[in-house]
Amino acid sequence: MIKTKLAAISAIALLMAGCHNPMNSVENAQKEGQRNMIADQRVVNDMGLNRSVYVAGVNTGMTPGGFLKVQVELFNRTRSFHRFSYHFEWFDENGMQIDNVVSATVPDQIEGGESKFVSAVAPTPACRDFRLKLLEAH
Amino acid sequence: MKKIVLLPIIAVSAAILTGCGTNAHYIQTGGRESIVSVGSINDQDFIQAADSAASDLLASGVLDRVKNPPAVLAMSRIVNNTGQQIDIDLLTKKIRVALNQSGKAVTTTTFGLGGQAEDPLAKGIQQQQEFMNDQKPARLPDFTLSGKIIETTAKAGNTSQATYSFQLSLTDQQGIAVWEGEKQITKQGSKSTVGF
Repeated sequence: MIKTKLAAISAIALLMAGCHNPMNSVENAQKEGQRNMIADQRVVNDMGLNRSVYVAGVNTGMTPGGFLKVQVELFNRTRSFHRFSYHFEWFDENGMQIDNVVSATVPDQIEGGESKFVSAVAPTPACRDFRLKLLEAH
Repeated sequence: MKKIVLLPIIAVSAAILTGCGTNAHYIQTGGRESIVSVGSINDQDFIQAADSAASDLLASGVLDRVKNPPAVLAMSRIVNNTGQQIDIDLLTKKIRVALNQSGKAVTTTTFGLGGQAEDPLAKGIQQQQEFMNDQKPARLPDFTLSGKIIETTAKAGNTSQATYSFQLSLTDQQGIAVWEGEKQITKQGSKSTVGF
């Protein structure tokens, strides 16, 4: 009797988890564009978030108007869908944070096994450095 | 014995009861503790839409193509096609501030729709200056910013969904939309919640 109940509970749990299956993807193997990958410095306080929203790499570029553009590749190392939010901060050549009226905390989501990019453009040409903050969604 | 059993129960009940209400406190505007409501545009939605528009516009390089930088921008009509009453400045002012801080564009406050100046006093001073010094009329805006906010809703059982589309166009003096941007924000749920 207990075994039957356990099997039923397991089946329901599996079905519920299956609501968001991990994803498959395909892309061109011979890349035309070359990403300017940069060395990054990380602070990981939330190990769970680091598994589901893992920073796979960071690349930067400049826009035609001379603004720093940052692109961060995130990878979900789990099989389950995950909600998170992120926020970019910008710093000038003296390391002073640049106050930005439209610096949004952006809610986002990532499928199990998915690799996705989040990007941002610096608010002024004076921005030299950046910091991306990743947070678990409530 | 009864006291020993009752005390923890009372303590837990008190903790639960006090946890039900939230004392007034400050939060970061647009931060992750903000209230999210499906049926209306929240502060964080305006911030996100303005952030997206300003970043996209700055990255496009369109503002750098004017002869005498920084580009002069005039605000045109932003149509509110949602069921709510919205102060459009919640969106446009953020974009204006971001563009101003970037050094790539400034906004005229003396040139508006139907000849209505945002700052009538500034317009009066400008006209006075032109008359007194026999100057040419003030520089015309290089671009105008217009757009629309659209709301689409759907419902399945108790779950409601709303998508807010923030559409913006930047038009040059030749009447060509040289930049266009759209940001869509979709929210789903059965009731308003705190946090993302």
